[in-house]
Amino acid sequence: MKKRRWRDFGLAGLMLGPSAAVLSLFVIYPLVKAVWYGHQRCDASLSKCRTTSWHQYIDAFRSNEFQDSLIVTLKYALITVPIGLVLGISLAVLADKHIKGIGIFRTIFSSTVATSVAVASVMWFFLLNPSVGILADWLGGSAKTPGLLQKQGLALWAVSASSIWANLGFTFIVVTAGLQSVPKDLYESAYVDGANGWSRFTNVTLPMISPTLLFASVVLVTRAFQSFGEIDLLTAGGPKGETTTLTYLAYGQGLATSNDGGLRATVSVLLFFVLLILALVQFRGLEKRVHYGN
Amino acid sequence: MRTHRCGRRRVVLAMLVTGGMLAASCRSGKSLTNAGIERKPAPTTAATVPVSTLPGETLPPGQTVPTIPPTAPPTTLPALLDTLPRCNTAALNSASAPVQITFWHGLANELGVELQTLTGQYNSSQTKVHVNLEFQGGYDQTIDKYLQSNSATRPDMVQMPEYMVQQMIDTKSIVPAQACAESSKYDLSPFLPQALGAYATQGVQWSMPFNMSVPVLFFLKARFAAAGLDPNSPPGTLEQLLAVGKQIVSSGASKYSISLDSDFDGGGGWYVEQWLAKGGEFYADNQNGRAAPATRVLYDGPAGVQLLTFLKSLVTDGGAVYVGDNASGTDTLLKLADATEPAAMTIATSASLGPILAFVRGGIIPGITEDQVGVGFMPGPGGGPGALVGGASLYVVAGKGDAKAAAAWDYIKFLESAQAQSDWAAATGYIPVRQDALSLDPIKSLYVSDPRFKVAYDQLLGSKDGPTSKGPVIGPLLQVRKVTAAAVATVLTGGDPQTALSAAARQADDLISNYLLQNP
Repeated sequence: MKKRRWRDFGLAGLMLGPSAAVLSLFVIYPLVKAVWYGHQRCDASLSKCRTTSWHQYIDAFRSNEFQDSLIVTLKYALITVPIGLVLGISLAVLADKHIKGIGIFRTIFSSTVATSVAVASVMWFFLLNPSVGILADWLGGSAKTPGLLQKQGLALWAVSASSIWANLGFTFIVVTAGLQSVPKDLYESAYVDGANGWSRFTNVTLPMISPTLLFASVVLVTRAFQSFGEIDLLTAGGPKGETTTLTYLAYGQGLATSNDGGLRATVSVLLFFVLLILALVQFRGLEKRVHYGN
Repeated sequence: MRTHRCGRRRVVLAMLVTGGMLAASCRSGKSLTNAGIERKPAPTTAATVPVSTLPGETLPPGQTVPTIPPTAPPTTLPALLDTLPRCNTAALNSASAPVQITFWHGLANELGVELQTLTGQYNSSQTKVHVNLEFQGGYDQTIDKYLQSNSATRPDMVQMPEYMVQQMIDTKSIVPAQACAESSKYDLSPFLPQALGAYATQGVQWSMPFNMSVPVLFFLKARFAAAGLDPNSPPGTLEQLLAVGKQIVSSGASKYSISLDSDFDGGGGWYVEQWLAKGGEFYADNQNGRAAPATRVLYDGPAGVQLLTFLKSLVTDGGAVYVGDNASGTDTLLKLADATEPAAMTIATSASLGPILAFVRGGIIPGITEDQVGVGFMPGPGGGPGALVGGASLYVVAGKGDAKAAAAWDYIKFLESAQAQSDWAAATGYIPVRQDALSLDPIKSLYVSDPRFKVAYDQLLGSKDGPTSKGPVIGPLLQVRKVTAAAVATVLTGGDPQTALSAAARQADDLISNYLLQNP
């Protein structure tokens, strides 16, 4: 028995080896290294580093810049995730009909999934550009002077709009897949019981696709916390730091962290923990409410 | 069936509340740049009269006077230049094809256009060198990109603002301008000593001044006249500034007297250095870091506190208006053109004179014509001229080969030529870096026809010769200015000057000591 276990161990090691090696090299090693750099102050190229203390994490967390960014990021997530989910569900329900030509609409609705963040951001940048942007022309007012992306109080909403649009395709596809797995007999029996469209939606559809929604919301929240491209291309963290999210703080330009690899690592590791806590909250808090079917 | 929706709402609410609580309870009020480097607070000693050491330099009790090792500067000076990258300007002669060089700069808009014009002239005037201008988006971006580059990705030449001197030296990536000047037997004598001195430390000329500016007072003559003041004698001392301010406001000539800001490159940082220098005070120890590396700032001493107490009184009693951090660089100026609640004066870089006049000339602002704009010396302790050099300088990047360094130096020589400096100064409002540029048109006739352009020059030339009239050389000066700017913002919005300055100085000292440990 014992002998067998050891033989298994060798075999397991052999089979796990490649992925363990890849994982250690590309995930665990950088993570450990980042945690280590996080208690150092360095120059931009990480060539001149000096160990300070683990207190650097606490100092960084409590610093004005980090706290501001944390609030910006929470706001950003609270704007993009609910709106993105509601729009995604609405589109998916609309397109969940077996009528002629629905394929075209499904293609249109899901098309943003094939649009990279950079392309989406550049497109929105031109739409919102105060002098040539068509959206800016329609909206007028602050959208013209100084422009939504430059206006304090509105820039975050403008970036959110771009992000919601870019993520809509993903939400649409996931929710559509969820909708198609809902057994049709549930709708039929609800119909027989006299439920109208709205109550069929709230009492059958939503509970049945709740696992999908949990998945979608976890992904969307994570994306919101990790979004960098839209911020970098649309506002570069401005105006006055109003769109400097945590990821941008860790990696952006013209900030307190810009020329200190150590501080960048500190912020990144803190972001990791914020995301970890968030994922735990989401799974612990939401999982119980999710209906996985009987 | 409905529970999951309420549940999500509750979780989101919980997230919000926890996030908000974390954010509110944890905020330390300090900058991220100070994370991890806060030293234990020095043992507090009873406040006694600080010991005076050098003119303007005071030490808190209990600290010793920094002694400069007697063996250090004079004997090691020639050796320092010998240890630095060499410059062989003859290498350009042996190059067969035109040498292509890349030049990173941070000059936007009109300034960038003028630099393009000059560079175009240079490129077409000779066949040995071709300069490729690369605008980086501004000084901030140039700094970030340069510091993040390595020897392969750096340009052949870079423009850096004046607060970057020490950090550029410590990158050990530059060919000192002095090496190139010596190699090409370049005559530095026509240059203004103030211009060269700003970029020379430890006896080495590190870079060449190019666009040089000082802060000056901008005011609107009509509002001075309306207040019964002489539009031709702007306030010189701080006391006069306060008195003039009171008169402007009480006479109803203008809603506010002067618009103030707390930009790190303006009222929050650069001007603080200027004001201390005007008052004959050091900003940092070891003679502003020029006798030996600075170890701490001195602006939390009596002079600094007095200065900020004055600025605060300017807001409370003198009718001044605080416009915030002036990140755009134009908020203070636009306050003068405010339709309902304008100010009558502001302090801004002399380099904005050209753009201001061009802006006003367009007639966009009702009631303000080009002639209305008055320029005076920056009011300061004691009044009169005197200023620290601002602006930026040109660095030759090392490790690119002799030919590239020689080509960069050839281009620098063009930009530094008397004619180019005359053209450049007349187009922008920058101060020519050399005396003989003044005898050439267009600046020669401009200084006569519009003396406002000459105010900055006179102010700089009027600086008293002395150790306090050379600005601070501190590795993390940019970051130091930013923590200082936060203190100025606190004071201008009602904070206590001593408390704010002491806190800022402690953070600045931490930044300096961290920098010195990182760059031994």
